Amino acid sequence: MLMDQIRLEHNIFRNLLTVILAGGRGERLYPLTKSRSKPAVPFGGIYRIIDFTLSNCLNSGLRRIKVLSQYMSHSLDRHLKEGWSIFCRDLDEYIDSVPPQQQFQETWYKGTADAIFQNIYLLELIHPGYVLILSGDHIYKMNYAEMINYHLEKNAELTVAAVEVESRLAAGMLGVLQVDTHGRIMDFEEKPATPKPSPYRSKYALVNMGIYVFNTEVLVRNVVADAKQDTTHDFGRDVIPAMIPKNRCYAFNFVDESGGNILYWRDIGTIENYYQANMDLLKPTPRFNLYDPDWPVRTYVGQYPPAKLIRTEPSTDGRKKLGRARNSIISPGCIIDGANVINSVISPGVYVGPDAVVEDSIIMHGTHIGAGCRVRCAVIDKNVRISPKRTVGHNHDEDIRFFELSESGLVLIPKEFSF
Amino acid sequence: MKRLLIVDDENNLRLLYKTEFEAEGYHVDTAGDAKEALSMFEREHYDLVILDIKMPGMDGIEALGKFLGRDNKLPVIINSAYDSYKDNFMSWAADSYVIKNSDLTELKQKVKESLGESMYEF
Repeated sequence: MLMDQIRLEHNIFRNLLTVILAGGRGERLYPLTKSRSKPAVPFGGIYRIIDFTLSNCLNSGLRRIKVLSQYMSHSLDRHLKEGWSIFCRDLDEYIDSVPPQQQFQETWYKGTADAIFQNIYLLELIHPGYVLILSGDHIYKMNYAEMINYHLEKNAELTVAAVEVESRLAAGMLGVLQVDTHGRIMDFEEKPATPKPSPYRSKYALVNMGIYVFNTEVLVRNVVADAKQDTTHDFGRDVIPAMIPKNRCYAFNFVDESGGNILYWRDIGTIENYYQANMDLLKPTPRFNLYDPDWPVRTYVGQYPPAKLIRTEPSTDGRKKLGRARNSIISPGCIIDGANVINSVISPGVYVGPDAVVEDSIIMHGTHIGAGCRVRCAVIDKNVRISPKRTVGHNHDEDIRFFELSESGLVLIPKEFSF
Repeated sequence: MKRLLIVDDENNLRLLYKTEFEAEGYHVDTAGDAKEALSMFEREHYDLVILDIKMPGMDGIEALGKFLGRDNKLPVIINSAYDSYKDNFMSWAADSYVIKNSDLTELKQKVKESLGESMYEF
């Protein structure tokens, strides 16, 4: 029985191609996406957003992966080369970054379905029986093998992964599924104002996670049909609603590998989502645990010395200043030099000078915060230099003179900025 | 009058198709290769394109993508002597796939269907 299961999974995996959609502009994450694509945005100190999807693939046993990149793909490509050149091509295993080839069309991708349509030649070349389509900008832990088995058990043509989200949070934001008692999708609405309730809990809606298993031929037929119409060429908005009446479409209920009763899945759509998902990591027992040996998350960090929290020498005022960090992530190469870091996520190689206070903030690689600075509720990109005694997030009028503020008032400082 | 563009590298076939489809009441232009066809398409409006696959230079599959890139609703019919491209996912972007035959009934039927004209309309 076990051997049969292993053999089945082996055969399926040989017959399956994973495609990660990593081409979104991520305009709502600006200025973090000023010079990089959304999946390449740093996250959780040492990671980039795409690491979570790729780690899911790795932990699920998937080893044939094409990453469809598009805008400003340089930093994403570099990260994939540095951190994810781990498979053996001789065994037909790979993670390839595929920029638009314009072989079949001469435009940028017009939507998620168009990204697949424009890469039909890839599907033709590899000719897999099944295609798993993933987004490169979600944070969650999921074993895709279970979803693929479900797809086969149901004899489905399309399986959509679904998660329950509180209706008030899903309203106007996410795609909502209606299913029958067998899990077959009966209806789909993209971003409805009042989402229909989940069959399991009335205050929740069953939401499309943007994870699809397709029989390849069904996928090709449907993206071709969509390409010939004036739609937004989006799976959620156009392709899936058109498929529901004519194809066997099933919903797979997300099983969170984090364990626990509350499922963790975050779509990093806005700066607020991004900030909150980072802050989630700081909880004493976070729902999304990076320290789980059964579900390792891989990335590339590079060579850094260890982090150190040090006491400065007595200055003229005779006080010795302690370097302290409370409830924070401190990455390698950081020096907290007589400064105080509270509730913050600090990426590698950050320096915080004497008497400075950093709280409720995300500070990215190589940023230098001078002595006596006070920083709160800020998202500071890489290699920013802040002169001594500056304040960020304390004086609204001062902040808006230099910086963009997010909807909830987070101060956003772009890469390489110096002030 | 509906305008057809017929792309085929064989002179005699181009002549045959032109005569036959003109007799059906279409305006017909022909091109001997895909590049020429694409540049004609830039200059003139066509309601439907009939594409051979095996041609010197750019083949019909590649040309199909380029036609659809210029007009995503353009009806395109693949008309090939080979059925081996029927399994090629890229050929699925065509409205239909006809195997070349000296009897043009099927091709004519597909043209009418793609243009939304019934066989029995007068």
